[in-house]
Amino acid sequence: MALDWWTLGLQTLNVLVLIWLLSRFLLKPIAAIIAERQQAASRLLDDAATAKDEARQIRDAAEQARAEADRQRAAALHKAEHDADLARRQRLQEAGAEIERRHQQAQEALDAEQQMLQTAIEARAGQLALAIADKLMQRLPASARVEGFIDGLVEGLETLPAETRQTLSHPGVSLLLKVPRSLTDAEHGACSAALQRALGHPLKLEVSVDSGLIAGLELETEHAAVRNSLRADLARLETEMTLNDLQRP
Amino acid sequence: MNESPLLTPTLFHAGPVPISGAVVVTWLLVAVITTASWALTRHLSLRPGKAQCVLELFVETLDNQIRDTMQVQPEPYRALIGTLFLYILAANWSSLVPGIEPPTARLETDIVLAMIVLLASIGYGVATRGVRGYLRTFAEPSWVMIPLNLVEQLTRTFSLIVRLFGNVMSGVFVLGITLSLAGLLVPIPFMALDLLTGAIQAYIFSVLAMVFLGAAVEAHPTPKTLENKEP
Amino acid sequence: MDNLIQIVSILAAAIAVSFGAIGPALAEGRAVAAAMDAIARQPESAGTLSRTLFVGLAMIETMAIYCLVIAVLVLFANPFVG
Repeated sequence: MALDWWTLGLQTLNVLVLIWLLSRFLLKPIAAIIAERQQAASRLLDDAATAKDEARQIRDAAEQARAEADRQRAAALHKAEHDADLARRQRLQEAGAEIERRHQQAQEALDAEQQMLQTAIEARAGQLALAIADKLMQRLPASARVEGFIDGLVEGLETLPAETRQTLSHPGVSLLLKVPRSLTDAEHGACSAALQRALGHPLKLEVSVDSGLIAGLELETEHAAVRNSLRADLARLETEMTLNDLQRP
Repeated sequence: MNESPLLTPTLFHAGPVPISGAVVVTWLLVAVITTASWALTRHLSLRPGKAQCVLELFVETLDNQIRDTMQVQPEPYRALIGTLFLYILAANWSSLVPGIEPPTARLETDIVLAMIVLLASIGYGVATRGVRGYLRTFAEPSWVMIPLNLVEQLTRTFSLIVRLFGNVMSGVFVLGITLSLAGLLVPIPFMALDLLTGAIQAYIFSVLAMVFLGAAVEAHPTPKTLENKEP
Repeated sequence: MDNLIQIVSILAAAIAVSFGAIGPALAEGRAVAAAMDAIARQPESAGTLSRTLFVGLAMIETMAIYCLVIAVLVLFANPFVG
């Protein structure tokens, strides 16, 4: 047997050329298109993943916006409730204040009326007391209405402050002595003597009759006065009673 | 029957060069395969048609086979292995066309294919490990194995040649005998068997080429057996 | 002597092919039997098994093909003839 060397060489050439041709026209393009498709697929997958991410983000944003809206609504609701509550409370407070004010007004009116009544009653009581005292004095001897009060007058003078007494002691000063009835000479003398004793020097004494005193002696000067009469006592009593009434409640 | 299957008859002379039938058939096959692949890959798109699907399936299967058998990336070996498979398949099946004898039934073509595999294994081995590294693989596991490894290189190449040649040649031989005995319809089962044998031999040749290349490239070759491989 | 050489060559070719067919025949029988057994056990993997079986059969058959090649060599390219 003998090999055909020309065939050998030509076949070698043919096979090598075929390898190159197939690599050029078949295998490389197919491999390239496969790789390209793989890339495209991976790119598509990436795109899909990106799109999914975006969608998720959008959904999250929407969720957030909804939550925000919910929150705002809840806040608004809460605020409205709060406002309403506040307004109601304010209204209540105003109403309460109004009621209180009215109540106070009524109370004041009531108080004023009561006061007025009290005053009237007291005035009546004072008049009644005066009348009773007058009636009682009528029964006493007439001298008692003056003489019994001389000592009181002297005491009243002594209770005056020293400066006032000094002014009284001034010789030029005229003293006004109020009496319930015209004095007898003995009574006048007794009064003058008592005053002279009390002040230490003779003085000019004017006498005026004021039957409202009921009984007692009152001394008046330009600067001072000594109330020493049944009327003044009654008036003082009345004032004290009124004060006590006012202080009691 | 007087024609020896071992001799390659010269078809004609191109100048001083004798052109045999195997060379002419190979030229035809090269032209047909190239034209077909050019036509099929001219309009590739990301949305594949049927033809493109088939081609992509073929290439992906090829890549997977290379990856499984050689444990390497298929890029550098795809062209060699794919061309070997496609060419042997086309050559074996070319016997279906009346009057054409498959080139692989001639000893020269098989020698060429096996020598290309041998040289490629040497070339890829040297490219991967360097000259010294490649030569050192012959001394594995010990220097005693050097002659045995050298002989193995030759014998496996020789067995590659004879396996392909014997299978295809015997098919052609049996077909010729059958045709000379009974003309009509009787050769059809033999032709079908030839188709099967041709496809299987193309696959086996490619897988063995992968195993040889892988053994030359790998540090510690773990040659995959032929089980679990799709033809 | 030429005649004798040719007779011996033909005898040798026949013996090579016939004896060379025995081993692969037995081996293929075992392989097919094992494959059938496996398919019967696991029908779902019949596809893989049959593909592997075909490849294995082709590899085994190559042994017989070697013998055939030797026979063809002896018949058509006998170095002792001519």
